[in-house]
Amino acid sequence: MKKPDQRQFEVDLQLAGYRCGLLKGCWAVENADDLVWPKVVLWLAAVPRNGAPDRFHVALDCEGYRGAPPTGNFWNPAEDALLTADKRPKGKPNSRVSKVFRTGWQRGRAFYHPYDRVAAQNHPKWVHEQPHLIWDDKRTIVDWLEEFHALLRSEDYIGI
Amino acid sequence: MEGNVIEIYVHAGGRSEVVQASPAESLRQILTRRGLIGAGAAEYLTFVGECEDALIEADGVEGGSDTHLPVNIDLSIEVLGLRQHRHVHHHPCRHIAVVVNFGKETKHHSFSPAATVETVARWARRKFHVDPAAASEYVLQFCGSTVQPRSDQHLSQLPEVKNCALCFDLVPEVTPQG
Repeated sequence: MKKPDQRQFEVDLQLAGYRCGLLKGCWAVENADDLVWPKVVLWLAAVPRNGAPDRFHVALDCEGYRGAPPTGNFWNPAEDALLTADKRPKGKPNSRVSKVFRTGWQRGRAFYHPYDRVAAQNHPKWVHEQPHLIWDDKRTIVDWLEEFHALLRSEDYIGI
Repeated sequence: MEGNVIEIYVHAGGRSEVVQASPAESLRQILTRRGLIGAGAAEYLTFVGECEDALIEADGVEGGSDTHLPVNIDLSIEVLGLRQHRHVHHHPCRHIAVVVNFGKETKHHSFSPAATVETVARWARRKFHVDPAAASEYVLQFCGSTVQPRSDQHLSQLPEVKNCALCFDLVPEVTPQG
């Protein structure tokens, strides 16, 4: 029997925001019909950059969704492993993109962002510093997708 | 309807719904089915698509207005181009009078309810002559709050719209530290 967090996640994949982004080619949850909960593998489209792919995969642990934020990082589906640092998207030095996608933190297993469970737990001050990005049970996977997709279409994203 | 179905997104009353429609159906039929028009329902305007009129506004224009028109809901989904446009906005306002503050400056524009937050942000960055290299670091935040709406949301989806008006501050995006 599916757990409530998985059922909630599957319900949210029917939200207009998710469906719209899916049809526009912005993102997709790859294993939507065959989730091995709590692991969710998805991809996000990226704006063109020399030598970089047009999309990046991400593996998220969505345990406790929506009550808890997801955690995860870029993924190599061919190797069923985290994407190596040299193949991850990069940002301009000191930009928000470079901070969120930093690879030297938590061994590259979590995003440096308030929507990441591990990052949020390690940065209680972010509640005050970035109150607009605090995850609560009104947030959905669409908020997560839109936030990270925005980073991959940012002028500060420079490729891999 | 199976096989020829079109998926559209109806934004009304602060909610967004995925609706399956046949190309021959009128928009009125769909809105009636969703209880958005008919007995007891408010008289709203209906827009389709996404409006980016503001992005082609000349730099010197102050207090400009989108020309995006409401549609005749008796037309079919096919004729209204919803196979491409996808979005239907059922909203009480013909325009939403948007004010954006940046430092000591303020700019105004009357946006269609079908404009996205991203369109407003792009318009504002251009109007305030934000350095294009730094433009993505500036985002919209509701005045008097710490809430920043998602860039893909349409103005029609924002419950913060009161009396057909909306106020934003253009603020620097916070980079995670610590």
